[in-house]
Amino acid sequence: MNSYLWFVGKRTLQLLAVIFFGVSATFLVTHLSPISPVEAVLGRMTARSNSAPEAIIAMRAALTELYGVDEPILNQYFNFWLRLFRGDLGPSLLAFPTPAMVLVGRAMPWTVGLLTLATLITFVVGNFLGGLAGYYQNNRLLKAFGIVAIGIQPVPYYIVAFILLIIFGFLWPVLPISGGFAMNVIPGWNWPFISSILQHAILPAASLVLVGFGGWFLGMRALVSNVVTEDYVTYAELAGVEHSTIVNGYVIRNALVPQLTALAMALGGVFSGTVITEQVFNYPGLGSLLIDAVNAGDSTLVLAVSTVSVTAVALAIFIVDLLHPLLDPRVRAE
Amino acid sequence: MDRRSFMLGTAAGALLISAKGLAFAQEAEGTAPDLNNFPRNETVIVHNPEGVIRNPSWFNIWVNGGGGWSNGLHQLTMDTLWFIDPDAGIPEKSENAIYYSLAEGPWEYNADFTEMTVKLRQGILWSDGVEFTADDVVYTVQKQMETPGLTWSGAFSTQVAEVTAPDKYTVHFKLQAPNSRFHGTFCVRWNGAWIMPKHVFEKVEDILSFDYNPPLSLGPYTLHSSDPNGTWYVWEKRADWDKTTMGLVGEPKPKYVIYRNNISTDNRLIEMRNGNLDMIHDLSPEGTFSITKDDPQVQGWFPGFPYAHPDPTLPMMIFNHQNPKFQDKRVRWALALMLDAKAMSMASYRGAATLSAISIPPTGTHPRDYHAPLQDYLINYEIDTGTRKVKPYDPTIGLQIAEMVRPQFGDQVPTDETAIRNSFGYGWWKQDLEAAGELLTAAGFTKNGNQWMMPDGQPFAFSVMVPQEGVIGRLGVIVAQLWAQAGVQATAEIATDSWDRQGAGNYECNIAWAVETWGGHPDISFFLDSYHSEFVADVGAIQPGRNWMRWKDERLDAIIEKVRAVDFNDPKSLEYGHEFVKLHLDEMPNIPIMSYNVFSIQSNRYWTGWPNADKPYANPVTNWANAKYIFTQITPVS
Repeated sequence: MNSYLWFVGKRTLQLLAVIFFGVSATFLVTHLSPISPVEAVLGRMTARSNSAPEAIIAMRAALTELYGVDEPILNQYFNFWLRLFRGDLGPSLLAFPTPAMVLVGRAMPWTVGLLTLATLITFVVGNFLGGLAGYYQNNRLLKAFGIVAIGIQPVPYYIVAFILLIIFGFLWPVLPISGGFAMNVIPGWNWPFISSILQHAILPAASLVLVGFGGWFLGMRALVSNVVTEDYVTYAELAGVEHSTIVNGYVIRNALVPQLTALAMALGGVFSGTVITEQVFNYPGLGSLLIDAVNAGDSTLVLAVSTVSVTAVALAIFIVDLLHPLLDPRVRAE
Repeated sequence: MDRRSFMLGTAAGALLISAKGLAFAQEAEGTAPDLNNFPRNETVIVHNPEGVIRNPSWFNIWVNGGGGWSNGLHQLTMDTLWFIDPDAGIPEKSENAIYYSLAEGPWEYNADFTEMTVKLRQGILWSDGVEFTADDVVYTVQKQMETPGLTWSGAFSTQVAEVTAPDKYTVHFKLQAPNSRFHGTFCVRWNGAWIMPKHVFEKVEDILSFDYNPPLSLGPYTLHSSDPNGTWYVWEKRADWDKTTMGLVGEPKPKYVIYRNNISTDNRLIEMRNGNLDMIHDLSPEGTFSITKDDPQVQGWFPGFPYAHPDPTLPMMIFNHQNPKFQDKRVRWALALMLDAKAMSMASYRGAATLSAISIPPTGTHPRDYHAPLQDYLINYEIDTGTRKVKPYDPTIGLQIAEMVRPQFGDQVPTDETAIRNSFGYGWWKQDLEAAGELLTAAGFTKNGNQWMMPDGQPFAFSVMVPQEGVIGRLGVIVAQLWAQAGVQATAEIATDSWDRQGAGNYECNIAWAVETWGGHPDISFFLDSYHSEFVADVGAIQPGRNWMRWKDERLDAIIEKVRAVDFNDPKSLEYGHEFVKLHLDEMPNIPIMSYNVFSIQSNRYWTGWPNADKPYANPVTNWANAKYIFTQITPVS
């Protein structure tokens, strides 16, 4: 137990270091962006208006002071960490003076809900079928799945998304193609709202599942193909253990450990959003928020999204690291 | 914990977090509307080109707080003293495209343009029943002047010395310096200085963090409901709409107007085909050709090809005059003569471009005031190449492009010469590589193989800064290619920060626009005043606006000063506008190419009577505040 606690302590220090360096790197990159938030806002305010040059000069000075972007970068960095410890990342410049975390909090549930479900569905279906395909290598149906997985996996995501959009939005318009829910529902804990959310999530989720399925399927099939050659599997077969028990209890279970690590990373990556899905299906979420923030030079908002993402990925890996010794005796032994 | 529990736990946790989060995300707003309340014969659905509105409950348009602008807020609830339509305006309701909105008549200046007096309309009500008065105007100006960071704070603090209300319906301005175009701040082109409700804002402690939700309306609609995720807004007609300035124009027909934003280009097309949009702000050229071909109920600005509405904006090749490579006008002219108008039109707009050889957009009433009257001047215009004199203008380019696209679009392409000129432009420069070569030679350039060398012996090479996407991006790339084919090492440089770099002067050649006009009015001070040399920034400093090329010329200053000395409506203003065009031709400080054509389309499935080139009573581009007048002219399809 003591050695496990030592292991946990070591991993915790690593986690903090990863977050610190990850967030610091993000801070540096966002603040080196050539896009000025003041110019972006000024452009929005004056581009199509009758603005005299003197007025633009005055506005530039006012906004620069208001946003605090004229401070030296070291001061900004120091203030950033001070604020972060208080749980505040500062105001978004895109939506000044609204706190950046409010915008992140508004977008995150959509991304997390969609991507978590899509990732889990893909993981379960892909690994289960991949495991079966690895074990029952002569089954025609599972071979067919393999061909489909190999066929779909290399297709770029946006092609699959557009095909779904055209089929179910245009040729046979049975599914909504835009937004997170319909205008004709009352948001809250009621069935029309929940069913509307589910309906709107079908196409984006289906596009993610279709493309993601192949990777899990092929990975698991390859892993299982190795496991089935192990002595203990042969022994179990010779001993007359039922095939379903061998597959579920011994083969897939043993092959699943590396897949779980990949799942944790995929779930951590959920917090980065999925830009193309959100663009194609006009789905509200972190991906499009991040794009808007980058285009507007809103370093605070970029930093907020990135900090959440870095922390989520680091935490996911941390948790898997902690769980591995508990789940796999071989790791514990090491 | 075993693996099964771990996975189940993860799934359940994620579901709970997202479900709780979604519920949290919705708590910010009240209820959404029931679609049954919006019968289509009472509801117009408009596409707003904004992305996700990040701060959806922010309606304080006087602060850049992340709320939407063109989500119906400034079209349907805001008002100010005057509107100038980018097109012709509604006949008999506007005068020379000018609507007297909250002002009951035109601006009144004193003799030296240091004071302006405005008489206001009486009986105009805010949506809470409080009367609009001069106090609101005075408050708007004073509050902006004393609060840096408000949208029009720069405009007022640099121009106004004092604003007073001699009586309830009169406002008097004393200006810091003579300014015959000060009223322009209160003239809506795309937007203008919107009037604030004094009785609301005077009670607000920190105006910069005030969300103004729900917004009070001075226009004919009020907020009905909105999406807490910032993708739609529903506006409902006020019962007392006739107590707004819209009462002077006519009753807006839709009871509800829904603005939907964050819709990608492909989805817009599908949504209109599915009956979920009546007005689209813009499509791609290809999308427009497709939907107008497949759906006879869909219309563009022109009844056939090229469909698009020409905005009063003029994309052009902008040279940085602080770069020695572009300081000789013979070089700039040579670069203009290397271009092929037909290739540029086809590459950018698939032929659906409206060309302009002069520095005035070919849109609104400008063809009547500038392009048509200057045709003879252009046809006879000569440039001296150093070897000979050539007449570079080709008045038939528009006709040639029409013939080029006719095989593909057939009857959709107009045959009448006037219609072709209005759609495709009056003409442009002939591609004349020989004359271009003579000009470069006269400027001291030499040719080494196919490569032009500058007088210092270095290759004539420069980058062409091009925005990431869209037709302007396509246009910039083809221009760079045409120059490269003609022996100039021009390289297209795709830049995500082209707007910033343009302001900072951090470019050699740039495709953008340094010209925007009112559109429906011949006065060109909208952009021209900013061309005065007093505003040209030093190298390394940021240029405040529109003279992105940093062109300095005493003759230009003289014209601007003459324009400043006459009233906006003075016919001399147009005369000086012609002088500017001629000076621009002589100097070619930038190369005007074509208007910014916006593929705005409307569906006649549920509503009809939209503006078009035959009935140009309003700009159909949905995010312009003037678009509100459209709602008085359309009728539901029975």
